Amino acid sequence: MKLLVAGILFIAVFASLPLITTRSDLLNLGVQIFLAVVLAQSWNLLGGYAGQINLGHAAFFGLGALVTRTLWVGGTPLILALFPGALVAMLFGLMIGVPAFRLRGAYFAIGTLGLAEILRITIGNLMPQISTIPVRELASYNILPRYYLTLGMAILCVVLVALLIPSRIGLGIRAVREDEAAAEATGVSALRHKLLALALSTALSGLAGGAFAYYHVSYYPQHTFSPAWTFDAVLISYIGGVGTVHGPVLGALFYVILRELLAVKLVEFHLIIFGTLFIFVVLFFPGGLVEAWRRIRRMIARST
Amino acid sequence: MLEIKNLQVAYGPLVALHAVDLIVRPCEMVALVGPNGAGKSTLLKTISGLLRPRAGAIRWQDETIDSAPPQHIVERGIALVPEGRRLFAAMTVRENLELGAFTGRAQQEKRTQMERVFSLFPRLFERQQQSAGLLSGGEQQMLALGRALMSLPRLLLLDEPSLGLAPKIVESIFVVLSELHRAGMSVLIVEQNVHAVLELVQRAYILEGGRIVGEGEGRQMLDNDHIRAAYLGPLARGAS
Amino acid sequence: MILAQQLILGLLVGGLYGLAAAGLSLTFSVLRVLNVAHGELIMLGGYGTFWLFTLWKIDPFVSLLGVAPAMFLLGLLLYWALFQFVVKAHEETRIKNSLLIGFGLTLVLHALAIRFWTADERAVTTAYSGAVLRVGGLAVPWLRLTSLLFAFAILAALHLFLAKARWGRAIRATAEDWEAAALMGIPVGKTYLLAFALGTALAGIAGGLVSISYAISPSIGLEWTLKALVVIVLAGLGSLFGSFAGGIILGLAEAMSVVFLGGPYREVVGLILFLIVLVVRPQGLFGARA
Repeated sequence: MKLLVAGILFIAVFASLPLITTRSDLLNLGVQIFLAVVLAQSWNLLGGYAGQINLGHAAFFGLGALVTRTLWVGGTPLILALFPGALVAMLFGLMIGVPAFRLRGAYFAIGTLGLAEILRITIGNLMPQISTIPVRELASYNILPRYYLTLGMAILCVVLVALLIPSRIGLGIRAVREDEAAAEATGVSALRHKLLALALSTALSGLAGGAFAYYHVSYYPQHTFSPAWTFDAVLISYIGGVGTVHGPVLGALFYVILRELLAVKLVEFHLIIFGTLFIFVVLFFPGGLVEAWRRIRRMIARST
Repeated sequence: MLEIKNLQVAYGPLVALHAVDLIVRPCEMVALVGPNGAGKSTLLKTISGLLRPRAGAIRWQDETIDSAPPQHIVERGIALVPEGRRLFAAMTVRENLELGAFTGRAQQEKRTQMERVFSLFPRLFERQQQSAGLLSGGEQQMLALGRALMSLPRLLLLDEPSLGLAPKIVESIFVVLSELHRAGMSVLIVEQNVHAVLELVQRAYILEGGRIVGEGEGRQMLDNDHIRAAYLGPLARGAS
Repeated sequence: MILAQQLILGLLVGGLYGLAAAGLSLTFSVLRVLNVAHGELIMLGGYGTFWLFTLWKIDPFVSLLGVAPAMFLLGLLLYWALFQFVVKAHEETRIKNSLLIGFGLTLVLHALAIRFWTADERAVTTAYSGAVLRVGGLAVPWLRLTSLLFAFAILAALHLFLAKARWGRAIRATAEDWEAAALMGIPVGKTYLLAFALGTALAGIAGGLVSISYAISPSIGLEWTLKALVVIVLAGLGSLFGSFAGGIILGLAEAMSVVFLGGPYREVVGLILFLIVLVVRPQGLFGARA
């Protein structure tokens, strides 16, 4: 219940932000935060809830960006361009997932890692030139539709996960994470649940990529396949609180805002800090910010 | 002397051993019998240091070892021949034996000890360059026992040594155990083959559901009601 | 002719791929930990050789005598600080956590390298760098040939250590069955530590050899991690010479792709081969089940 209130507050604040200010740097920051939420939450669905570590999340983000950008720049209306992007991302995901999920251990992780690199190098070779929004769009470029599109996506993503997790399917997904053998023994098809989580995760990542393609004026196509996007998704999920609904949201806020503040100094500095923080969280504090907040509240409650 | 007092061992919420008391005196051969799942393997694993008890104490020659790591316990002279032998199948017979003498103390006597093992088990000498995985069941058990002896133990723990072996081979292994015992080794042996083992040992404990439910002299246990009813079946009914 | 020349070059680099894979294979088969930052460790080894050469004019092959122990120490540190906590969990969680920790380590090491040494490419250029051995009509670069022989020698030495030495056997025993190993009096924690440090040292040596014949930069980490993974998937775990052979195969496959598809797709071919083997025969072409 508290989460719902917090969520509504979050939406209210961010939805009304453009009405209060016209500062493009703040609005751009907003877009970054919303993209980060979708990127992280989609990873969290597969990694945090289903327990399958995807080290090539960027592949699906990049595929979404590629397809959407190509279609949209070619004249397709954005709404129609977004869904093929998500679909292609999902198909590639299943392509890796179907063989890899039958095996245990690290196969899925290294398979996705390999896939992302293959795509990055191939796209880098096939499309080495920078991709720029055509002049007709450039003239009328407005941050607002991008802002609300990405905000909408972030809301959709979080709501989807929030509704899915307590459902029967969500229960199955979590059971598979806890103990695949036990889940199978109670009739839960591990493969089917993992693939479902995978399909949703990659589709959402593809959508985020599509939004990025709509938002970013010019970029090198291979950049959208860079491991940096995977790092963002994984770090945000863990620092925020992996396996929770609001963890990725908290993490995205923390990460993007702090990154902005630290970027004033040397560029790589924030990566070292976040990387170290991430390792610390994985080893010693898996609850992340969500857990930290819970403990602080308990300490406060106890002292009053 | 091995002294176990009030030992409690649990796997998470599942308590496997409740307040177990057990003693093995110097140069004694003691059997631990009981049904499957009673906790016999758990007890041996805890003595060896692979498991940590939740409560209670294990003392070996006046040293408390219940929280010691496995390598320390081997150094102190307790060796476990585990259930299923757990040989290094990818390595040769000789390599397995050499690994048994890993500790500093054992390294010094490696050569002499290996000769002793080969004289106890001539078959192992013949097959010393063979891969351990290719040995027969009986030979594997001999190797497992030989490997444990390489660490120069004063107390030998055996977990179901007769499992899956033909009676003749079981007999030969028990003969070797007797010899070792006569030479001064203390032995604690867990066995399903109750009839054979009770003839061999001086004392025996019965473990059921994680608790010691009986104790007595080896041969006399054969008359114990528990044992007769549970394990000796038709033999028991016929004898009364 | 071009094909033959490319194949020679592929063979020569293949030895390095094998060496790179051997370190990762060692740590994985013993600790059941997949350190995806292995490529970054190779990168660090490369920089070690580069700086020893650039600052103090130490011959790159000689510098390996310094780089290897330094990387060994780094391995000890990394195990002590990070991986000793990962091995406390049982296998499934172990692999998962090691992937995450390795991933984080990749990020941190990469960023630190850029911070200290910039993103520029570096190469070690000695007086004899360009020397070439002519065989038939083919050119065999001396440096790369020496590196290949060096890599082979290191692997042979490692093989001997694992086969004969007390601690080498302890490592093999722990890899096969850690509980049984513990019952032999083998201190499993120390064995893990040793294996991890050795794996890191191997990475460092591989990196040093890379900097001698090829360029290095902070970004080569991911590339080499993937190369090591490709070789492991091709060759399976548990065999050092399998790793070496797998590395050669990868090198040759890449060479053929250069001839038939052109340079830019060199990396891709290896990775696609990797995905295919992953799907069709995950235990590798020679290996036992991973």
